[in-house]
Amino acid sequence: MTRPAIAVDGVSKSFRLPHEQHLSLKQRFLHPGRRTTYEEHEALRDVSVVVEEGEFFGIVGSNGSGKSTLLKIVGGIYRADSGTVRVHGALSPFIELGVGFNPDLNARDNIRINGTLLGLTRRELERKFDDIVGFAELERFVDQRLRNYSSGMQLRLAYSIAIQVPFDILLLDEVLAVGDQGFQQKCFGTFDRFRAEGKTVVFVSHDLASVERFCDRALLLANGAAGALDAAADVIAAYRGELPQDASSPGVAERRHEPQPAASASADALREPA
Amino acid sequence: MSVGAYVVPARERRERLLHQARILRVVAASEFKLKYAESVLGYVWSLIKPLAIFSVLYFVFGRFFRLEVGVEHYPLYLLLGIVLFTYFSDATTLAMHSIVTRGALLRKLAFPRLVIPVSVTATAALTFGVNLLAVSAFVAWNRVVPSAAWLLIVPLLLELYAFVLGVSLILATLFVRFRDIGQVWELGVQLLFYASPIIYPLGFLPPWAKPILVANPFVQVIQDLREIVIGLPERETVAFVYGASTGRLVPIGVALAVLLAGIFVFRREEPWFAERV
Repeated sequence: MTRPAIAVDGVSKSFRLPHEQHLSLKQRFLHPGRRTTYEEHEALRDVSVVVEEGEFFGIVGSNGSGKSTLLKIVGGIYRADSGTVRVHGALSPFIELGVGFNPDLNARDNIRINGTLLGLTRRELERKFDDIVGFAELERFVDQRLRNYSSGMQLRLAYSIAIQVPFDILLLDEVLAVGDQGFQQKCFGTFDRFRAEGKTVVFVSHDLASVERFCDRALLLANGAAGALDAAADVIAAYRGELPQDASSPGVAERRHEPQPAASASADALREPA
Repeated sequence: MSVGAYVVPARERRERLLHQARILRVVAASEFKLKYAESVLGYVWSLIKPLAIFSVLYFVFGRFFRLEVGVEHYPLYLLLGIVLFTYFSDATTLAMHSIVTRGALLRKLAFPRLVIPVSVTATAALTFGVNLLAVSAFVAWNRVVPSAAWLLIVPLLLELYAFVLGVSLILATLFVRFRDIGQVWELGVQLLFYASPIIYPLGFLPPWAKPILVANPFVQVIQDLREIVIGLPERETVAFVYGASTGRLVPIGVALAVLLAGIFVFRREEPWFAERV
């Protein structure tokens, strides 16, 4: 039995959503005794899951069910309130449409920064640079600033960086959201390669057909709690079964930080399971 | 607040340090590039600004208010103060915003957050280094001859950097929670300008105020640098203010304490930066 790539044990995470946007000292001075009222939003509640090495693992659930939060906790970006996360192997995260590009820098500099943050040395960067740009098909735009990129182009570049760094575990959050057909096919090609190489992939998506096609097992999250955890096809069948009630409750926390680019928002809307 | 555990295989210490050094280099390089992007004069601005401030202050305070009479090499005295102040104010202000402006990056990648304020302040230190070249032109013009004592400039600049970094870490951490800190610090920096002997000699102050002011490492470094480079009347020196030789340790202790406090609060709050920015 190999060591699990990811072991999440009893993880809970709450976000405090202030009732009024409140970032000023003034109110604290004016009402020193009174504390602001917060809404505790429980994004994850006692979630446990083990992902084995070499496994393709899917996470499904409606908006606000805690998928992205779970992925960020596994990626070490958020800290859980309680519970334990053990990660065994080098992680490469692809989270929320990208790896955090700086819009004022060109692709060349962004690749340099993000590649370095993900652990590449200067020499490795030089060696992989053409591959990164080539896979993203952005050779012509390398010296353009990222602010001039469409969301599809940014996604391609981000994915290309995420898969070019040496990793054992790949975290993928909605990688298919704004790419075109051609790019999706290309992604699917890389999935097959990762499987052959024995990489571990955690795949969060609303595209249930792809989850079913690529994932060995899947976890269903509903309002921050773990639901079905089983073979991907069964989990998706369970999810589809409960969709009508679920689809009526709008998500709260997901992507609450980020103004969504119009293109990706509409693409997201199209992708929502009907 | 309770905290969950996040366990990853420990990387070799050497490898970890190399990784952080690489991040430092690329982030500092991009910082530099962003600062001067789309500006025609680019880097020259970081020279023009302190020189322009110098010219104005020199004519107002040096000439009109005759401050230059009592101070030897007053232009050099003033320029040293301004260049140091520009460094302090630029570094701390940029570093204060550094975590929040990189929110997108923080929400997507896990990496030691400390490298961000460190690389931002290091970039400011680099600019400061180049500004010191401008000062050395003044030094030559004033026919000041370097001596062996000038070697002491190096530890003094290290002390100043430690203080700058400490203040920066505290500000960056606070700014994530309270955006008001931006206004507070803008005011703080202005008050510091007048609460430091930048345009006036330390001797203008009443005796009770001197030890308080010189406890600020920024003021101590200014005075020590001036003493080394242009020489100061004895009653203006840090040693004279504190009398006993151990008094010298006060500002150095403050600088170290601020640095340690900065590292402590930053490290404590760092796990929650991604969800708060």
